[in-house]
Amino acid sequence: MTARKKQAFRQTPWRVQLKLTGRTVQVTVVLLVVAGLYLAVNARLADAGRQVLVLEDQRESLQRATAELTAQYAEQTNPERMLERAGSLGYKPADSDEIFYLQVEGYVPPPAFVAPRPPSSRLEGATRLSPAYTETLGEWMTRWLTPD
Amino acid sequence: MMVGVSLLALGLLFQLVRVQFGPYAPIFADWAETSAGRLERLVPARGNIYDRNGNLLATNATRYIAEIEVRQLHSQSRQDIATTMSELLALPFEDLKAQLDTDWISVGQYRIRLTQKDDKGQTWPIGIEKQEAQILFALQEDPLGPDLSGLDLVPAPRRVYPAGSLAGHLLGFVNQEGKGFYGVEGYYDEWLSGRPLTVERPIIPPEARVAPDPPAGVNLVLTIDSGIQQTAEIVLREAIDDSDAESGQILVMDPRNGEILAMAAWPPLNPNDYDEWLPGGKPSVGESDKKESDSEEDDEDSDSDKKDEDEEPVITPGVAGQYEPGSTFKVLTMAAALDAGVVTPLEQFIDTGEIEVGGHTIRNWDGRGYGPVDMIGCLRYSLNVCLAHIAADELGASLFYDYMSAFGIGQITGADLAGEIPGNLRTPRDPLWTESDLGTNSFGQGVSLSPVQLMAAVSAIANDGFMVQPHIVRQVVGPQGVFAPKTTVLGQPISTDTARLLTEMLAISLEGETSHASLPGYRIAGKTGTAQIAGEYGYDPRWTIASFIGWGPVPNPRFMILVKLDKPESSPWGSVVAAPVFQELAERVVVLLNIPPDPAQMPIAGAR
Repeated sequence: MTARKKQAFRQTPWRVQLKLTGRTVQVTVVLLVVAGLYLAVNARLADAGRQVLVLEDQRESLQRATAELTAQYAEQTNPERMLERAGSLGYKPADSDEIFYLQVEGYVPPPAFVAPRPPSSRLEGATRLSPAYTETLGEWMTRWLTPD
Repeated sequence: MMVGVSLLALGLLFQLVRVQFGPYAPIFADWAETSAGRLERLVPARGNIYDRNGNLLATNATRYIAEIEVRQLHSQSRQDIATTMSELLALPFEDLKAQLDTDWISVGQYRIRLTQKDDKGQTWPIGIEKQEAQILFALQEDPLGPDLSGLDLVPAPRRVYPAGSLAGHLLGFVNQEGKGFYGVEGYYDEWLSGRPLTVERPIIPPEARVAPDPPAGVNLVLTIDSGIQQTAEIVLREAIDDSDAESGQILVMDPRNGEILAMAAWPPLNPNDYDEWLPGGKPSVGESDKKESDSEEDDEDSDSDKKDEDEEPVITPGVAGQYEPGSTFKVLTMAAALDAGVVTPLEQFIDTGEIEVGGHTIRNWDGRGYGPVDMIGCLRYSLNVCLAHIAADELGASLFYDYMSAFGIGQITGADLAGEIPGNLRTPRDPLWTESDLGTNSFGQGVSLSPVQLMAAVSAIANDGFMVQPHIVRQVVGPQGVFAPKTTVLGQPISTDTARLLTEMLAISLEGETSHASLPGYRIAGKTGTAQIAGEYGYDPRWTIASFIGWGPVPNPRFMILVKLDKPESSPWGSVVAAPVFQELAERVVVLLNIPPDPAQMPIAGAR
């Protein structure tokens, strides 16, 4: 520091304080901006993660409800109940001598029943995020420093 | 200040490096993993089972398992949980309280499942049905309700069979741990259950990602027709009531491709409530189902007389139950003799009423001699002496057992149902075999097989000599697509000509023997059977197994039916108790399969 500057600071010490304060504020603002960005990103990530968890719970709950309703529907329409209902409505199984058989030209019988396909599996690998989003600083540095 | 900030920054940097790379780095990494999530076993939904028309026979619903988060318990919640659950689920309060009062944390357990003991002293997690779970959920939400903090109801899959006991024996069941036993559930357990995955489930929201879906179990479409299955079960139940038989089975199969259309068994098995069928249990045969019976007390008396105390109930008796087939087996002996060319249909045999084979005297079922009869007569009157003569004097042991082996007797058919047994046929290679076995085997005595085995063997006669493998699955539907098993021909034990000739002989003999099995408008071939029941000390003179196997319409059969009634009381004879059951069922089967009577098979519209 030159002699003139030293003299100037001696005469007006507030200049030194102002300079120090300015630099501290500068650093603080930068840190606050970084912290704010970090917080904003993490808040969005947490929110998205929370939504994923909620949606997963909802999906499981809906799957359970669907399965429950499917089972109930099948119980309501099982052959024993249908026979009872048909009987209560006055129907009875037709005897062979009560049936007329007709040959219908061009008749195509309905196609055979095909069961619905179970859902395709989505394995862990397919749902894993890229390491760029999950690795730690240390892992990143290790990767960066390790030659390919 | 700058120095202070710099020192702090340096300290933080040092700590970061120490955490990442220092000697305790693995421990810190473990802590991080533990706090990031918990390991969870994802179990895929078990595949559904449908009948051939799309009726759902087995699917999944939800039940809840009572789990306790131990660290959330306190004295009031321990008391309230035990009280509420014992009242709601009729469980012993002391047992629940003891589980809740145990110091689980000292043994490193922070989450436990509440358990209960069954009648045999086995411990099972407490399963809570939907209705009770809803009450508990409501109580948890109620601020004025009991303190249930720490109680967590975890949903778990539960197998349900919407049709109840319909085809229960054939389906088998799934236990509380999700493992399939018996029938289709047992045979296809690995396919149906899929592949569970253990994954780390994050509990910190920023770490959350979409959980993987484990490979799901396949859906199965069975060859069963619910309409025919239901009819077979109704007809069987009525037959059991009418004949006072102890048990019985009916199998319906398409002899052209081996598709099993129905497999009914009595006593019925409801897979939703299978406990009584587990080892040591005694199925409640139908004291409740047989309520229509007028003389219930008499039934119980005679049942206790019939039942062997050590006899374990057989699940899926169509494949897992073995019996001596009696006279239904004669069709195989006659098929062998015709195919080998040692007899012809009109060949005469002088029946004296008895024959000696290997020092053992064989008599006819009624002890009478029938004089000169042809081979059709031998089948019509079901003459033991005639068939023993054919096996011993015409075929000889070597040829007879070669044919029986070709018919698959003593071997499993490979039907896709769990628990199939091979039956038992002693051959001359067996040290215990004697020549008299040849005589008795010829009319179905001293040989045991399963109903499905007899169906497979006789399918060769109905199907132009080709023996088809009975099977129960029509389609396997997985995420990758649909797989439809093809018909498997097990072999051709007899020629096409022999098969057609014997079918004709059986149709003629049936027309003459009994009208109980005939069906107006349809030509049927078949054979009755009345077998004695072998016990530890020889044959029990009191009881028989009455059966009938038949197929139609001849000459292009579309169904084959086996009726088997165990220990009938009204009459011991297959022609009296089993043949009418066949007739009653066949009458419905032709309607359900849309098989027009013979005249309508001609291309004339409106034929009746």
